[in-house]
Amino acid sequence: MKKTTILTFAILGLMLGAFKNHSGGIYKTNTGNINFFSHTSIEDITADNHKVKTAFDASSGKIQFSALIKDFEFPKALMQEHFNENYMESTKFSKSTFSGIIENIAAVKTTVDGVYTSKVSGKLTIKDVTKEVSTMGTFTVKSSVVNTKATFTINPENYNIEIPKTVSGKISREIKITVDADYHHDH
Amino acid sequence: MKKPIVLIVLLFIIGTALYAYKMYNKPHTDVLNTVAAETVSASAIFAAFDNEEAAAMIKYTDKVIAVEGLLLSKDLSNELEPQIVLEGNGNDGFIRCGFKPEMLSKVSALKDSTIINIKGMCVGLNGSEELDLLADKDVVLSNCTLID
Repeated sequence: MKKTTILTFAILGLMLGAFKNHSGGIYKTNTGNINFFSHTSIEDITADNHKVKTAFDASSGKIQFSALIKDFEFPKALMQEHFNENYMESTKFSKSTFSGIIENIAAVKTTVDGVYTSKVSGKLTIKDVTKEVSTMGTFTVKSSVVNTKATFTINPENYNIEIPKTVSGKISREIKITVDADYHHDH
Repeated sequence: MKKPIVLIVLLFIIGTALYAYKMYNKPHTDVLNTVAAETVSASAIFAAFDNEEAAAMIKYTDKVIAVEGLLLSKDLSNELEPQIVLEGNGNDGFIRCGFKPEMLSKVSALKDSTIINIKGMCVGLNGSEELDLLADKDVVLSNCTLID
């Protein structure tokens, strides 16, 4: 009788352990999307990057992004050229990174389909300037894929991005950044 | 005497405006019809970026580069940009190539574990040793086309 009880607890323990491991782990993608959008009365400017590298740790809540600046595609080639050469100096400062934390990771059940929200905060680096940013992230779990969406704004002047007076009316001081990524469990 | 000057000034203004308009609307680089500035193996371009990223950025980025390498996998998880992954250093280094959505059927037909040739705009090295979850590295090419 005693042996059976011990065995039952052992099996239960193993099952719980296995479940815990599965709900944790690293979720990753190399095909995340980041869009930025600048609106002024003169001109709207938008650009997309579809090869953003990002991952999060479902146990600790650690979340990281790395996006190549030259991989942002603009509708107009000239805008893209100016963005890279004049504003971002992207040959020298080739990528932008974010390293932060999903604050309420316990509420994001990566193994249970559903929609969860949590504050995400951390350090955003652009042109070697690092600033704290935070926003609300939406985590949608469906068939083992975790989609994450988040939006926040940045002021280019805070990241050492100088906008010449001749075009200052065309570029907003509030650039809207939208993140949209489908994470898969990294085996 | 005044008329020719006015005419010259007018022609100059029209010319400048036309040039500015043409520049403003100039198209993106047509990778398909651009001769590759460099032809390299996947392992060579990965090594160039891994060893000296700053020098490789100057040498390869913003140019159409032709690359030959072993196709490890197709990554069709983002319908906005089908992608493939070539072997870079045999470990945690890769070449990631993005295609326009209209290339999806051609990309899907590629066979894993075969040697393929592509050309595309080189945009840099993604991944960072400072970010422990993203320590694997990709040399990234965009707007790729397949070379037969």
